[in-house]
Amino acid sequence: MKTTRSTLRVRWAAGAAAVLLPLGLTACGSFGGGGEADKSDGALTVWQYYGDASTPTGGPLYDVLEAYDKQTEDVTIKIRFIPFDDFNRTLLQAAAADDLPDVALINAFDTQSMADAGVIQDLGARVDEWGEKDSYFPTSWKTTQAEGSTYGIPHVADAYAVYYNKKLLDAAGVKPPASWVEMEATAATLGKKGAFGLAVSGVEGAEGATGLVIRDLAGGGTVEKFDDAAGHHALTAFKTMVDSGALSEGYLTWNEEDAKNQFANEKAAMMINSATYISVLREENPDLEWGVALLPKDKTRLTFLSAENLTIGKGSGDADAAWSLITHLQEPGVLAKYLPARNKLAARNDVTGADDDPVRKVFTEQLEEAWAPDGKLAAHSNEVFTLLQEAQQAVVSGSGSPEEAAGSAQTSIDEVLGGS
Amino acid sequence: MSTLTAPRPVDPASGRGTPAPRRRRRRRLSSGYLFLAPAILFVLLTVVYPLLYNISQSFFDVGLREVVSGGARWVGLDNYSDQFGRSAFWHALAISLGYSTATVALTFGVGLGMALLFRPAFPGRNVARALLLLAWILPTVVSANVWRWLLDGSYGLLNAALRGVGLIDNDVFWLGEPSTAIAAVTVATAWSFAPFAMILLSSGLQGIPTTLYEAARIDGASPWQQFRNVTLPVLRPVSLTTILLCFIFTFKTFDTIFLMTGGGPGGATKILPVYAYNEAFKFSRFDTAAVATTTLMLVPIVLSFVYFRAVRNEDSA
Repeated sequence: MKTTRSTLRVRWAAGAAAVLLPLGLTACGSFGGGGEADKSDGALTVWQYYGDASTPTGGPLYDVLEAYDKQTEDVTIKIRFIPFDDFNRTLLQAAAADDLPDVALINAFDTQSMADAGVIQDLGARVDEWGEKDSYFPTSWKTTQAEGSTYGIPHVADAYAVYYNKKLLDAAGVKPPASWVEMEATAATLGKKGAFGLAVSGVEGAEGATGLVIRDLAGGGTVEKFDDAAGHHALTAFKTMVDSGALSEGYLTWNEEDAKNQFANEKAAMMINSATYISVLREENPDLEWGVALLPKDKTRLTFLSAENLTIGKGSGDADAAWSLITHLQEPGVLAKYLPARNKLAARNDVTGADDDPVRKVFTEQLEEAWAPDGKLAAHSNEVFTLLQEAQQAVVSGSGSPEEAAGSAQTSIDEVLGGS
Repeated sequence: MSTLTAPRPVDPASGRGTPAPRRRRRRRLSSGYLFLAPAILFVLLTVVYPLLYNISQSFFDVGLREVVSGGARWVGLDNYSDQFGRSAFWHALAISLGYSTATVALTFGVGLGMALLFRPAFPGRNVARALLLLAWILPTVVSANVWRWLLDGSYGLLNAALRGVGLIDNDVFWLGEPSTAIAAVTVATAWSFAPFAMILLSSGLQGIPTTLYEAARIDGASPWQQFRNVTLPVLRPVSLTTILLCFIFTFKTFDTIFLMTGGGPGGATKILPVYAYNEAFKFSRFDTAAVATTTLMLVPIVLSFVYFRAVRNEDSA
């Protein structure tokens, strides 16, 4: 038979298909790992997204882990920093390749989905034996629960409160607002004095919904049922503040760091932000005179809990050593030194000496009234908060009324929470 | 008339006669393929396999659990019917097409303008052209953040300039308003692609024989008529290539928009790649993300076919 170029081409294509199709079909059938559990490799791997050793957010974690490494002879800790945006993806890839770390410091709200996906271990039996569950604030502890068991230990907590510029508030003759009605009026008064009254993140995505969620919760609303009077009031409040000059329209492009910069540069007299920025403001703006107040209260004064949980990767060959490290990190004496350095709050109520600072005390007090998504909402919080931010954007830009935007968001929220 | 033919060499194995040149040719051919094999294998593993894998994912129910533990369920076209029934998907596709079209138009216009500007020799021409290329070679993370800073409502250079000449009084948040945000990302993308278009079009302009212009001038054609009736028609093949390449580059652009607006405000700049990214990495729906990325792949492929067909028809005409 004569072999022409075209028949050769066909043969090559057929050969390639013969190689590729089984590969593709095998891949289709499995989608990931399910291999054998790891054996102990003598090193304790810790993955985190706080930062590398040279950063103010990552440095304290490296210090406390290195100290543990030195004091524990048979343990060598290998820390890996993965930026927040890449963290979950990397963890999933590692899970699919059966190469999970021994300890993963994950976003508290991701605990349920990671447990559901089989990325992290059930710590229920260890926790029962440990017996320190009751030392934790209930909201923090709730974030560790999935499928009726415990899948993580709260590492630290963070809360949102109101930072205020003492000089600007004194000049305007106003005090930090105690209610949301006062907040709108105070911010509007301050807004007429050259700086905006309030700064808060409203950026695209889940981060930008924090202020709106806090306002909704204060009015007695819930995230799951956003399309109610409290949700409408929350949306209206932000629109009103933008229209009155109390809040810059630019807040829709600000993340929390941008909001801090507005406050630090006295472009905004108040900001709603987390305790993360206490030492940042002190170090970067030593001349700025500022204080912190509790969130305004209407029906509630709930803050949004921001937290991370310590978890053990599925298949870890050093699970016992990982658990020892986790419990060490949660010792009140260790936390008393670590928390101020890390600018975070204790997730447990028996840490003394960490909150002597008057500003941190306000945050600790605020943390007693904290809210965190749980159940299905926790598993889909990223998407639901993104929907709320979109509703906020629609109202502030005038492309929809609060009722329309809340209704549209509610339809999507119901679909998300009603799904898998 | 008699014909003399050399006796056919006999293959000792088969006992059949095989012409020696054919055997040599076949050996040459197989050694050629052997040299090609590493490159082919590389392309198969790094390009073809991931593409097929992505397409296959769109036919399964793939969430977090399936990625980690396996056991994805075959759902046929369910993911496609789910996505095609969502306004958010069509919105993202429409934004992608609109953004790509506007960016390509701007890129081509500016690129052609610059190519024409740098056509005649003048002192410093090469330096100026090299400087313009900076926009093309700059990492997107740098250029996108520069644009963010320029357009910042509070500290941005654009606002400062406009305030300086009295055009605005208050801060304008260019990336906070849907209409200005989409315009901003279009300009930013065109800014980085225009030098690339300029290079392609410059090479096309160099290929136009000067005799055509001389003939046109003798016929009394004005500079505009020369441009319209000589430059543009002769430049057509290069222009088509430039437009197609720019469209493909823009249609798959992710980083510029992700860094400048994250798809906001309110989804105003949520192009299909950002939509797919959110589906996969924010909401852990890898199956519907695969539908979006498959669609993302199909549009440039269809356009490429249209383009090659047009070129073939032109060549045969």
